[in-house]
Amino acid sequence: MVILTVNGIDCYYGSVKVLENVRFSVKERDFTGILGPNGSGKTTLLRSISRTLKPHKGVIFLNEVNIYTLKSVDVAKQMAVVPQDNVIAFNFTALDIVLMGRNPHLSRFQMESEKDIAIARGAMELTNTWHLKERPINELSGGERQRVIIARALAQEPKILLLDEPTVHLDINNQLEIMDLLKELCTKKGLIVLAVFHDFNLAARYCDSAILLKGGKIVSAGNLDAVLTSENIRSVFQVDAMVKRHSITDCLYVMPVSMPKPLSSRNLSVHLICGAGTGTTLMKILVNEGYNVTAGVLNVLDTDYETARLLKIPVTSEAPFSPITEETHRANLEMISKASAVVLTAVPFGYGNLRNLEAAKEALKRGNPTFVIEEVPIEQRDFTKGKAKKHLTELKSKGATFVRNQDELLSLLDISDDKLKIAKEPSTKIPGHLKPETNSHKGDEMDDVESI
Amino acid sequence: MSAKGVETTYSERVSRWKLMVIILAVALILTIVLSLNVGFAQIPFPTVLKILAKRIPFLGNLVDSSNVSYVEETIIIQIRMPRILAGALVGVALAAAGVVYQGIFKNPMADPYVLGVSAGAAVGASLAIVLGIGFTLLSLSTVPISAFAGSLLAVFIVYNISRVGSRVPVTTLLLSGLAVSIFLSAIVAVLQVIAGERLHIIVFWLMGGFSYVEWKDVWAVLPLICLGTAVIYFYARDLNILALGEETAQHLGVDIEKVKKLLLVFGSLVTASAVSISGLIAFIGLVIPHITRIMIGPDHRILLPTSMIAGALFLVICDAVARVIVSPVELPVGVITALSGGPFFIYLLRKKKESYAI
Repeated sequence: MVILTVNGIDCYYGSVKVLENVRFSVKERDFTGILGPNGSGKTTLLRSISRTLKPHKGVIFLNEVNIYTLKSVDVAKQMAVVPQDNVIAFNFTALDIVLMGRNPHLSRFQMESEKDIAIARGAMELTNTWHLKERPINELSGGERQRVIIARALAQEPKILLLDEPTVHLDINNQLEIMDLLKELCTKKGLIVLAVFHDFNLAARYCDSAILLKGGKIVSAGNLDAVLTSENIRSVFQVDAMVKRHSITDCLYVMPVSMPKPLSSRNLSVHLICGAGTGTTLMKILVNEGYNVTAGVLNVLDTDYETARLLKIPVTSEAPFSPITEETHRANLEMISKASAVVLTAVPFGYGNLRNLEAAKEALKRGNPTFVIEEVPIEQRDFTKGKAKKHLTELKSKGATFVRNQDELLSLLDISDDKLKIAKEPSTKIPGHLKPETNSHKGDEMDDVESI
Repeated sequence: MSAKGVETTYSERVSRWKLMVIILAVALILTIVLSLNVGFAQIPFPTVLKILAKRIPFLGNLVDSSNVSYVEETIIIQIRMPRILAGALVGVALAAAGVVYQGIFKNPMADPYVLGVSAGAAVGASLAIVLGIGFTLLSLSTVPISAFAGSLLAVFIVYNISRVGSRVPVTTLLLSGLAVSIFLSAIVAVLQVIAGERLHIIVFWLMGGFSYVEWKDVWAVLPLICLGTAVIYFYARDLNILALGEETAQHLGVDIEKVKKLLLVFGSLVTASAVSISGLIAFIGLVIPHITRIMIGPDHRILLPTSMIAGALFLVICDAVARVIVSPVELPVGVITALSGGPFFIYLLRKKKESYAI
């Protein structure tokens, strides 16, 4: 059993501390990913384990022997490294390069024997580079070159394989091929694979465990499920991300959600009554445009609910797949009362969410301007035997503004917002509209808006 | 191609290498013998052969040397022989050092003089000439000894300037070599100004040549150059791996700092030995490694021996040409090396432009 133990190491570049009290242990058949932002010490950790950067404090053990007390050649028999940049000075052939991997196994005057060539060939066949053997290394493509370098590492017949972003130069097909190979070496030959990754999803798909670094310290280490959480990703990368288990690969996958700063800030606050994904795009647009957005009532696990959470939109929520209770309904009305406009999307209605229509009516009654998007005719999304349709007709008759699509809605909201601004600061000039006004019968709706 | 095919190609490669070395060595010996015939004094070739044969044990007794004059024998054995052998030795040393430095620095501009060996030797030699110190050490005269000492001192200074703890970063080494060389060249310039009537001796020494070489000089540098090149050859495979970068070399089991130090020390030793008897012969150490690399590839296990023999061959031929081309005056051999090697190198570069990369 081969065990690599990193025991509380501190590393410095000059006087700058780049690793602090890093401590973990990996054993054979472990496929471990080192993750973290740029400058978090991932490569330094690999350099330290590969004896390039000696830790100031702490020890790295290979089977209970301090690796810094071993000779280079003895370490090279057990540990191979695939570095990130591979500048090769002279134009050796691919086979020459792979044969250099046999160096630790050769004595000073020994030439490579047939056995060494057979091993090199095996390594090159595994990495699918045998056909490149006669080609000068500097004439190969990035992917081919990387696979030759991996073959060189394999020719060392190591027990431990350290890789610094092994797939960074490769296209998707080559990436998977290399990762499959590494996984196979790990499970079948019992290698320890320790690799730096930038791509969470690649790491998630292949690694058993992970080490998450930030500022030279381990934030989280262990089983992949425990390390790869949206909380950890947020704390390390300051990025919001969804972490889910993929239904087909049964692997975790990470979907970073970028959060652009609002283009401008508005005075208008909008409450969205939506659901089943009908509000997702609108939420993003409204937040981007700088509106204060709230939403409800939404069931937990609803697509719109997930979006709202990611966009940090306040939501009145109901338990998954449950009808809206009286209590939630009232909370929703509370939220609506703080909004300056209410938007009802083309959400399908069942008995469970019928109360949302009542909420819209209530809003209208209290004098909130209410917009109804009618992208899909109500007949096609009414599953309440006409009750929803009745509510909607009532809304129309009581003065709700019906729009055909989002663009129409946005231009109307834009006008409302400007009016609000003028009302508050009469001296300010009206900024140019961000949206082109494509509305043909704007005049009619202007009247509607003026009734606010 | 099947695996068997490649494996035989590889074992064939080793025998091909051996053959290449043997052919070059034979060519070198033939060239040396032929060049004994070249010089101001006209000595017929059969006489040269007779003089040589006389020296061969057993066979010597069978040679009829009755018609060989004492003068002819002295010219061949005491004058031409040592300078030709010195040329061969210097060629070997400079080519080997050139291969080593280009390998360590991974820089096509590297030559045996990058670490200040030449400038140090120039200061040493010029000092000895200007001060006119006359002492002998192991029967060697002042100039070669002070040149040797000066070059080693210069390398020692350069090495210690660039040393960081126990490591020697090669970029710093190159730059400090350059800085120290420039400084020492300025000193040489000062010495030339104050040299007075001895100026021409300095200038002639700086141009390099073998006019004053005697047997004792050859015997003095022979062991140093043999030892140095032998040690360098021990590390030929490490030089290959150095091409992958120092970190990778270490990952492949090369004790990088130790190997680098050994190669630098012995590279400097052979260069200093060569320079001390020949003065500054430029070009060989820079271009011979490139020419051989273009022709046989980058593997140092064959590149080193072939470069060494090619360097010797080239320098012996150039020296022979230098002796007679504007006879009775001798041209400095450095002029011939540059005049003939330069165009040849350019021709090879253009021909192999696409595939040659350092």
